[in-house]
Amino acid sequence: MDISKMTVAALREALDKKELSAKEAAQSYFDRIEKYDGELDCYITVTKDKAFEQAEKAQKRIDAGEAAPLTGIPMAIKDNICTEGVKTTCSSNILENFIPPYNATAMEKLDSQDIVMLGKVSMDEFAMGGSTQTSAFKKTKNPYDKACVPGGSSGGSAAAVSADFCAAALGSDTGGSIRQPAAFCGVTGIKPTYGRVSRYGLVAFASSLDQIGPVAKNSLDCALILNAICGNDHHDRTTALDAVPDFTANIDKGVKGLKIALPKEFFAEGIDDDVKSAVMKAAKDYEAMGAELVECSMPSLKYAIPCYYILACAEAASNLSRYDGIKYGHRTASADSYEELIIKSRSEGFGDEVKRRILLGNYCLSSGYYDAYYRKALALRQLIRKEYNDIFDECDVILTPTTPSVAYRPDEKVDDPVKMYQADICTVTVNIAGLPAASTTCGYNTNGMPIGMSVVGRSFDEATVLQVTNAFEKGFEPVKPKL
Amino acid sequence: MDLNTVKYLADLSKLEYSDEKLAKTADEMTSIMELMDTIKDIDITYDAHKDNHNVFLDGIREDTVMPSMPTEKVLSNAVNSKNCFVVPKVVE
Repeated sequence: MDISKMTVAALREALDKKELSAKEAAQSYFDRIEKYDGELDCYITVTKDKAFEQAEKAQKRIDAGEAAPLTGIPMAIKDNICTEGVKTTCSSNILENFIPPYNATAMEKLDSQDIVMLGKVSMDEFAMGGSTQTSAFKKTKNPYDKACVPGGSSGGSAAAVSADFCAAALGSDTGGSIRQPAAFCGVTGIKPTYGRVSRYGLVAFASSLDQIGPVAKNSLDCALILNAICGNDHHDRTTALDAVPDFTANIDKGVKGLKIALPKEFFAEGIDDDVKSAVMKAAKDYEAMGAELVECSMPSLKYAIPCYYILACAEAASNLSRYDGIKYGHRTASADSYEELIIKSRSEGFGDEVKRRILLGNYCLSSGYYDAYYRKALALRQLIRKEYNDIFDECDVILTPTTPSVAYRPDEKVDDPVKMYQADICTVTVNIAGLPAASTTCGYNTNGMPIGMSVVGRSFDEATVLQVTNAFEKGFEPVKPKL
Repeated sequence: MDLNTVKYLADLSKLEYSDEKLAKTADEMTSIMELMDTIKDIDITYDAHKDNHNVFLDGIREDTVMPSMPTEKVLSNAVNSKNCFVVPKVVE
């Protein structure tokens, strides 16, 4: 039995049948992390001692026949999700030594099921980026080709799942930060509907767009984790009051009779041919399974990138004003005044991309530019929502590529902010509209690099999204990376 | 974007740049704003009445006093903490 390659569902069965212990499961991942993570740089912090304590507690629960679906499951947590007593750096020098005095609600919910946390995984600094190369600590590599980026910002989460350094992981998604790295690393990830998962304890980037979600080996595992982390939270007034369904209940229902929309703008110029053809082949597979394909249009897509970056950076500029070197985070070694303390602490602590986004946000919010940029972006958000609603009046889900290309080498894009921003074209509208969307692998290019497709659903209809991605996965043979 | 505008934004943002870095940032911000300016091509008006449906106001909890985080935890990540946050002297 190769434990580290097992899905969450398979691990659950093996743990419950006592074919392995929670400690053995955790150990098998630590063995791989110790052997290979030096090459991939997924983990910022490995929490081995804590993991074995948690494994012991989980084992008692399993032995008592009281296991929850995730009891004893070894997981990695993105380093912007607060973990009480465990460093949460956001991959930023400004939070290098920050030890949260509380758990994020999502973490609290996982702990209530007695998961085993293996450690905290790398990301773009403050989740600002799509490559994990803006991390101040670990610039994660792609398990399929170590010369390529894993995507981002949840690059550590996706690479760790792909390389079997954990059974599953939590990520966060503000403009594609779960789906894009999932696509680049050949795994599955879902951004839940805005309001589905509490943002309490998720270090804020753009509060109207951020959501925590799972990255896993397949859709069923994502559903099991979603079941655990969703729900109303009195710490976060934007969490929905709706009852949370069992996302696994209809996951095997197939796609027969479902209408799948294909917006033509997502298959136009700017999307690589190998990506387009892999996603279109998947669409044909869905048709063969009994779904109806419907061509449609989303004309506002051409404004999606500026709309997203204006909204996200405006919110980021406001959110990141809390880092002053006083309450927590990096504090400059010497400052003669209160003002100097703040300026020096922030200038030393933030990386270049974070600073650029703060400048952009403050520009768009400043007097004389607010109406032209921020208010215009709010208007575009309403238009994008309307166009999605119009499509969902006719169709059940929308199918698009997750990324315009497969994973690339850092030197191709990472130093050019405009190119990096434009690469988010396939994912940002989902966050702007607050919708749920999952990415799963639909093929590989001629170099063996994974290609991801995204399934977007109606608000709070993650169940149908996962039903559709799961239907494809059932007939698809994934190719594992060779480390 | 000219150097003065970037300097003004840096001041607003409580950030400081070396002269060399400021010039590089100005070039980058110029390219970024060219991309952002494409939203000027569409004539559209924001309707504030349509928004805020992501804030759920039903079922708000009672306004009751609950325990808050203890002081030692609040200060656990602060430098120079002596049961309070310490800052450089502001008033002589």
